[in-house]
Amino acid sequence: MTVPVQRSADDGPAMSLQGLVKQFDTKLAVAGVDLDVPASSFYGLLGPNGAGKTTTLSMAVGLLRPDAGRALLLGYDVWADPATAKGLIGVLPDGVRLFDRLTGAELLAYHGLLRGMDAAVVDQRAQELLDVLELGAGNRTLIVDYSAGMKKKIGLACALLHGPRLLILDEPFEAVDPVSAALIRDILQRYVAGGGTVVFSSHVMEVVERLCSHVAIMSAGAIRVQGTISAVRGKRSLEDVFVEVVGGRTVTGSELAWL
Amino acid sequence: MVVTFVRLRFRILANGLRGQGSRVALFVLGAVIGVGLGVGGWFVFAVPGLADSERAAGILLPLGGGALVLGWLFLPLVFFGVDETLDPARFALLPLRRRTLISGLFAASLTGIPAIATLVATLGMVETTRRLGGLGASTVAFVGVVLGVLLCSALSRAVTSAFSTSLRSRRGRDLATIAFALVAALLGPLQLAALAGAEHADWDRVADVAAVVAWTPFGAPYTVGLDVAEGRAWAVPIKLLLVVAAIAGLLWWWSSTLERAMVGAAGSSRRLPTLDTGLPVARLLFRWLPRNRFGALVARDVRYWWRETRRRATLITFSVVGIFLPVMLALSGTGASATLLFVGAVAAINLANQFGFEGSAYAANVAAGVPGRVEVRSRAAGFSVYVIPLLLVIAVVVGFVSGSPASIPSSFGTLIATYGVGLGIILPTSVRAAYALPDSTNPFAMSSGGGLAKGLLTFAAILGAIIATLPVQLAAYLLGDVWLWAGLPVAVAYGTAAYLLGSRLAGDLVDRRMPELLAAVSPHR
Repeated sequence: MTVPVQRSADDGPAMSLQGLVKQFDTKLAVAGVDLDVPASSFYGLLGPNGAGKTTTLSMAVGLLRPDAGRALLLGYDVWADPATAKGLIGVLPDGVRLFDRLTGAELLAYHGLLRGMDAAVVDQRAQELLDVLELGAGNRTLIVDYSAGMKKKIGLACALLHGPRLLILDEPFEAVDPVSAALIRDILQRYVAGGGTVVFSSHVMEVVERLCSHVAIMSAGAIRVQGTISAVRGKRSLEDVFVEVVGGRTVTGSELAWL
Repeated sequence: MVVTFVRLRFRILANGLRGQGSRVALFVLGAVIGVGLGVGGWFVFAVPGLADSERAAGILLPLGGGALVLGWLFLPLVFFGVDETLDPARFALLPLRRRTLISGLFAASLTGIPAIATLVATLGMVETTRRLGGLGASTVAFVGVVLGVLLCSALSRAVTSAFSTSLRSRRGRDLATIAFALVAALLGPLQLAALAGAEHADWDRVADVAAVVAWTPFGAPYTVGLDVAEGRAWAVPIKLLLVVAAIAGLLWWWSSTLERAMVGAAGSSRRLPTLDTGLPVARLLFRWLPRNRFGALVARDVRYWWRETRRRATLITFSVVGIFLPVMLALSGTGASATLLFVGAVAAINLANQFGFEGSAYAANVAAGVPGRVEVRSRAAGFSVYVIPLLLVIAVVVGFVSGSPASIPSSFGTLIATYGVGLGIILPTSVRAAYALPDSTNPFAMSSGGGLAKGLLTFAAILGAIIATLPVQLAAYLLGDVWLWAGLPVAVAYGTAAYLLGSRLAGDLVDRRMPELLAAVSPHR
């Protein structure tokens, strides 16, 4: 069970969301999202705050039950067959806590064993990850005392540990300093080059523009544009497309005069 | 300024209830229970007045009032937590003077259901005083009763805040243990006095105790009216001064620990990071655990019971109560076996909101797809690592204190049976009735209604455990000496069966409701 049964890349999309809907009390957070992520793509999910990115990804990985719709991960329905689907992916959720009363090494060991890996393999990979991500293999600091950037890095390490073929990352670059961000970028690029698929959400244009092969722009709970980055961007900058799609407001100068 | 705090409290309370049917129901239920207890208490305290008995009043008012104050000291720590609708840490950035902050938070805390119920109940004392001593005495009694509520609230705030501060620092945890022991020990003499007095119907002795209590801050606020009625008006200013000084002292204590908690919330360095050379798996898992998923879950849980403040507070509180309560009763000669039932059930109740302890961190287990039964059993195992040795200690200590070491195995059996049955009831409940704990620095903090939920669950589970262990108790009663050696295996088997049943049920519930459970324990963002 260490290496899940793999399907070849031409079996279809690595992740396929079909008509996902989520309603919170009175607010329709996600209003029918359809999204196909091709295998071996680097897929950026863009959107302003509150667009429903986290809700969508939570439903895609089995953390939040959708009101309607399906989520297929590498061909397996995450809500019909959660055990298989969840075993195939690595997840970095945003806005949830880690088990932060453990040290980095302990957390990695926990995740590894939880995924049914062999203890020796866990030890070897965990130490390598701690080393590469500069978290210190012998560090006894509890994660609760880590900086925000270090928390992101240890979360990413947990998602990578069992060598999944699909990574779903919610805001992996938020609160990360430029040096660490470059490191994470390198790791993810190597991962995609090796045949893996990455889906991540962000609202930072530069990162998406630099990394992604595909992009989808979300706003008010729906996907507005999706496709390869060159098709979405055309001749303009991604930021211009984003602002146009989302419909932002500009400051004219008469407001906030007291500033 | 104070009004702003109170309005803010009600605003947060109302927003928290909006659109949450179950919470509204819980809140209404809490209000109904509060009113019921308040009115019931009013009649109890009004009885000496209705019966026109100065002597009864002289006993009931100081002792009953003192018991109320002790309850405010003890119950938040053990069962209910404190309602922290207004989390002090949220005010850390505002330019407020400490005096303003404390008086605001204090005023807000007085608007809770428990404070109002206490006030209503103690107004019965005013009625008693009015019948015994007329209008003047009852006016003084009213002042005393109001001060009494202030005292109760200040006491619970100061003590929980001080405990949470000392529990957070690693050096302070021994200190906390000792202080807790003192609190529990304080209860002892009162119980002993009550028991001894009631048993031998020796009301003179009780009256002596009551006379002493009346001069402590515990009884003073409730006896000033009586002093006027009985012509000891000179005592009134002294007692009022005593109470006001006690309130002021408690508020000062509260504010000083609060300040430390607020600073601590902004940035704390627990300990200096030192290097550790072990391999990751060996660092997480204890030697005796299997190197697999179950082992990892148990190891994480065992570490959490010690490293996480809320759980540590729960564990320490339970240890102290679990040992002191039976020992106190064993010393007084009766009721030790009844408390063993209570202790076993209370041990299980510590898991009533086991998923709420780590909140949204549970997402890691959901994302990894941990099967429900493994999840539930690993948590029970992690807690039992602490509890089962503790139950053994309790059985041994009680056996020796009550002078019948031969009963140790069967006492231990009773403890295990109630613990097992308690788990059988609590594990499914912990999945169905999980709730989010506030993201506060205070391990005793509860969101509105949370304390009531916990209290109700506690009593329901104790009752359930006692009823469900009736066969074992009956066997113990009927079999007599045979039970001394047969009790342990039978009771252990009984408890284990109940546990297995409950954990199976809970596991299936987890499998069905994993995302809903995660949503229930994640604080609203």
